[in-house]
Amino acid sequence: MISEEQQDQAALYALGLLNPDEDAAFESQLSASAELRDLVRELREATGDLALTAPSRLPPASLKQRVMRDIGMEPERSAPIPTQRASFAWIPWALAAMLMLLCGVLALDRASLRRELADARAADPLMQTIFFTLTPSESAPVDAKATVAWQPGRQSGVIRISNLPAPQPGRDYQLWAVDAAHKDPISAGVIRVDKNGVAQVRFKPVEKAEHVKAFAISLEREGGVPKKEGPILLVGSA
Amino acid sequence: MAEETATAQQMADREMVARIGRGDQSAFSALYDRLSGPLYSLAMNMLGDTAEAQDALQDAFLQIWSRAGTYDPEQSSVFSWSVLLTRSKVIDRLRARGRRSRVVVGSTDDKETRTEAADASTIESATDTADKNDEAAHVRSVLNNLPSEQREAIELAFFGDLTHHEIAARLGQPLGTVKARIRRGLLKLRQRLHT
Repeated sequence: MISEEQQDQAALYALGLLNPDEDAAFESQLSASAELRDLVRELREATGDLALTAPSRLPPASLKQRVMRDIGMEPERSAPIPTQRASFAWIPWALAAMLMLLCGVLALDRASLRRELADARAADPLMQTIFFTLTPSESAPVDAKATVAWQPGRQSGVIRISNLPAPQPGRDYQLWAVDAAHKDPISAGVIRVDKNGVAQVRFKPVEKAEHVKAFAISLEREGGVPKKEGPILLVGSA
Repeated sequence: MAEETATAQQMADREMVARIGRGDQSAFSALYDRLSGPLYSLAMNMLGDTAEAQDALQDAFLQIWSRAGTYDPEQSSVFSWSVLLTRSKVIDRLRARGRRSRVVVGSTDDKETRTEAADASTIESATDTADKNDEAAHVRSVLNNLPSEQREAIELAFFGDLTHHEIAARLGQPLGTVKARIRRGLLKLRQRLHT
């Protein structure tokens, strides 16, 4: 049974509010009680979830490069240094061997760099992403805008909308992919903006869209429609 | 279903951290893509400064890289572990600059946020952030449904880097009352988010 006092301490501990002495005292209680440890774990999860309530921000891509560079620069074990030869007669042979070794290492290194470059290109989402800027039509507020980051390979994307007021009751905004290989725009789902006219949503068109020329947002009946009916509010090509 | 998804995600996170512990840079890259959005949001919310938030996030991820081998799944999920590491780095910076954080809680209409988000070029982070949006909305809703005095105490403790003594002083309430508010609020959060 966990006392109220222990629950108090557990909550403060999970939030990192205890001073070092209190921390140490509580940790000794923790080590003696599995029930208390379970409580702390659950409170930590709740504490971690609080981070999600912060307004959403995205770090710049350059930050990832910095971080990856930092971990890539960690010192690696160096090759053992050859011991000095006792006889000078071995020097030419040793130099030749070292030269061959160096050539081998360089060849391996070059192959490795090529592989890394290919992997980095394959892994770099930017290399596979097309950006679309959607601008308002006459039916939309002039400052409404949207940006789509579309990844054809994954057939999914992210749209961010700003300054687009929520539609009237009974209506919804719907996103469409305009694809050269399809007669009609392909639905990419209903988008709901918040009270500030902002949305950030990941989407996936209902059909394969391999030749997307543009994205558009229309005003449709609530819940969306299979085929575009309403007016286009925002549209843009890559 | 959501619970199953969370469990599957947690297992995937643990696997990533285990690989990072073995020096796997691609796992580290994947974890960065998954977590950098919410962790950066946390750092920005507490520090209110782009450059400092980026530095704090960089420090946090370097610590994730170096400490992955010691991560204990019995103590916390990877997400919570990363949040606590990041928060600790942020608090180090707040204390280093000798002032308390700007507390910005629950504001989602920050134009700068949106502009920056629109300019963000890390699509992996973008998509993961989008994935997190539903979860974030749920947590925010649960938090907003707490009694206001409990929510306020928790927000000051988590985002404001205030001790319980400082919170009591700020709110003009007895220390015991503040402790009880934090405890009750956090227990309710736990109950509503994890049961």
